[in-house]
Amino acid sequence: MINKKLEKILLKVQKPGKYVGGELNAVIKNKDEVDVRFAFCFPDTYEIGMSHLGMKILYSQFNSKPYIWCERVFAPWIDMEEQMIKNDIPLYALESKDPVSEFDFIGFTLQYELSYTNVLNMLKLSNVPLKSLDRKELKNIVVAGGPCACNPEPIAEFVDIFFIGDGEEVDLEVIELFRECKKNGKSKDEFLLLASQIKGVYVPALYDVAYNEDGTIKSFVPKYEEVPKKIEKRVMMDMDNSYYPDNFVVPNVEIVHDRAVEEIFRGCIRGCRFCQAGFLYRPVREKSIDCINEQCRTLCKNTGYDEISLSSLSSSDYSQIVPLLTKLSEWSTCDNVSLSLPSLRVDGFTEDILSKIKSVRKSGLTFAPEAGTQRLRDVINKNVKEDELLNTCSVAFDGGYTTVKLYFMIGLPTETMDDVKGIAELGRKVVDAFYQCENRPKGKSVKVTLSSSSFVPKPFTPFQWEPQDSIDTIHQKQAHIRENLTTKKISYNYHDADTSFMEAVFARGDRKLSAVLEKACEKGMRFDGWSDCFSLEKWLEVFNECGIDPHFYANRHRSFDEILPWDHIDYSVTKEFLISECKKAYENTTTPHCREKCSNCGAMKHKGGVCFEKRQSMV
Amino acid sequence: MKNVRVWFKKDDECRYISHLDLNRVMIRAIVKSRLPVWHTEGFNVHPYITFALPLSLGFRGEKETMDMRILDDNFKLDTIKEELNKCLPHGLTVFDVTEPVSKPGAINSAKFKLRLSSDDISAKELYIKLTELLDKDEILVEKKTKKGVKNINIKEYFTDAKHYDTDNEVVVRVVLPAGSTTNINPTLLIKALSDYSGVEVYYDITRVDVFDAEGRPFE
Repeated sequence: MINKKLEKILLKVQKPGKYVGGELNAVIKNKDEVDVRFAFCFPDTYEIGMSHLGMKILYSQFNSKPYIWCERVFAPWIDMEEQMIKNDIPLYALESKDPVSEFDFIGFTLQYELSYTNVLNMLKLSNVPLKSLDRKELKNIVVAGGPCACNPEPIAEFVDIFFIGDGEEVDLEVIELFRECKKNGKSKDEFLLLASQIKGVYVPALYDVAYNEDGTIKSFVPKYEEVPKKIEKRVMMDMDNSYYPDNFVVPNVEIVHDRAVEEIFRGCIRGCRFCQAGFLYRPVREKSIDCINEQCRTLCKNTGYDEISLSSLSSSDYSQIVPLLTKLSEWSTCDNVSLSLPSLRVDGFTEDILSKIKSVRKSGLTFAPEAGTQRLRDVINKNVKEDELLNTCSVAFDGGYTTVKLYFMIGLPTETMDDVKGIAELGRKVVDAFYQCENRPKGKSVKVTLSSSSFVPKPFTPFQWEPQDSIDTIHQKQAHIRENLTTKKISYNYHDADTSFMEAVFARGDRKLSAVLEKACEKGMRFDGWSDCFSLEKWLEVFNECGIDPHFYANRHRSFDEILPWDHIDYSVTKEFLISECKKAYENTTTPHCREKCSNCGAMKHKGGVCFEKRQSMV
Repeated sequence: MKNVRVWFKKDDECRYISHLDLNRVMIRAIVKSRLPVWHTEGFNVHPYITFALPLSLGFRGEKETMDMRILDDNFKLDTIKEELNKCLPHGLTVFDVTEPVSKPGAINSAKFKLRLSSDDISAKELYIKLTELLDKDEILVEKKTKKGVKNINIKEYFTDAKHYDTDNEVVVRVVLPAGSTTNINPTLLIKALSDYSGVEVYYDITRVDVFDAEGRPFE
């Protein structure tokens, strides 16, 4: 029930439906009948968090255990936050409306570096001490997982336990251990020490870091013998038998991705050298057609959604994509359910696929060539050729499309001003392709949108040692693209370089950044992923006050032999492989994808997935 | 094919969702229920539904209606109620399904129950302030319209309003113009009361019933 105090503020905020829960399929249990209460916190707004698949999977899975009650918590938007503070309402979970401080676990999913301030702010709004060492009892255990947990160091002082890799098994093992420890009256320290011995668990408090005079890491060692030196990621190898929800909480208010989502595989065969996800989630593991078909039907039945998104890092790379779409359309068409494929690659765009995905509306198409010249696309191993892109656009124009959006990155390693100019030129070639199409929509003009973001070097990629371009250089490159545009048929927009800079700092930060985050939280900073709230000026002030140079993290070229802050985390991809990939990048040499040829990255040790598929070259 | 009128309550968590959100929630419930409802035949095929009168966000509604078309003329109306209720979120409850008598546009007025309170003054004091306000010859309040802000006198609409106080709140019952021609939102009175009393007034508003131009219940 919604209490009086809350009722009074709900009509003063935008979209109050975000703060009341009560959605279809939300799980309500009796708190006296469960052993463990888990507050699953998404450090962003309801609309963003409710669109996130990982949260849906774990929420359902935790709640499938009778002894766990998992509830959802989102960051209140600034209007709601203001009202909550003013009226002395601590952060609460949507299902029970109980304060987060009453929960055994406070779990965060880390999707984006700039959400770290929200993690801290949510703890603050819950009246829970920020730092792990200030939370002494066996309660309010702060855990975190997700892609940004691959470099946990910037938030290491605030989090008790990080989950490395796929969460489906390791999370439950830790919850089970907690249940035991609570029953047996063990202390938090005893619990953490035991947890650290579970594969995929990283307890930052159990490690000592020493630094060199230049600020780089000198040593990183476990405090006790039984604590592992390297934390290996957990991987769900059998995707067909991995837990997958048979229903989703269906929001009452509109969210960003308001549809059923079916994960068709994990990982990516491509190995684009800038892409962290492409390395973190190796090896590629597919679900079978039958399994996907069954899960899609069940989801639609239980949610009432009439759209399914077939989700993965690169959905057209599903090994049997056309048979899959054929199978799904056997029932989806008569049920008025439409299918959508996000992350389509230029070379995966065939008429066969197009005819089966209704939801690619005639309004526009989006592709990501990432770089403007072939040389630079080879450097980043994007493996998309210019004529492939132009052919695909022609197919689309012939089919009646008139707008194309192209995504690029600027500031990539080895990039020259000619590469940057290539972005504008590629846009022009797409315009030319339109007018060469005989079947193009008559009487209509073409609209090409070029969009650029700034490259952020990330851990566990071949570019993890690379400096990020300075903000000035990025501005010059943005201007260079604009100067080279000759027609109004092309429009150009770009992401803010300031936020990319902060992202780069925290992506490759070390434990010293905890002080920066703590100070930022003190100053009331949050929602830094939102241009409404982000201020580089404020950030630079915080860094200055802490005596820390952000450029040390973002713009410094690291040597291959430097101890990196995330070196104790093991995502199965070896450092040797990343170094060889980095060197190949400098030589403009590409690496074939996993289905063409194994490049011996290290992921094969999991004994499954794409590493053991029959390759066409072998048949 | 026949028209049916679905009568439902909008309360609890669902009083905080907008009319657009309500539309989406209802469509999903209909899809999930697999009831034989007529769908639009355009590019974006979806169940065809009509709401007689949108309810403001935050209000509770005790007699809300949604019209739709059922493909099977012999389909049992009770089944529609049961199946929809299985598919609706907490806070939306279908309590009846009928064959419509009035046209959807027939609604002319609505009866509201307002529960008012303030942290700053007692219910008794608030009652006195409200009585003073209602006794004035003119109750001027700012109304936001599409054309901009204008001052309107709402006195005439509240001449028949009944109000009384309890231990912790003031209750007002009033019938106001509602429908396609004139609409007077009861929050205008709250605004006038806040302005007049100088205190923050919390409100909890329920739309209790709707009527046609002759004052007969909408059926």
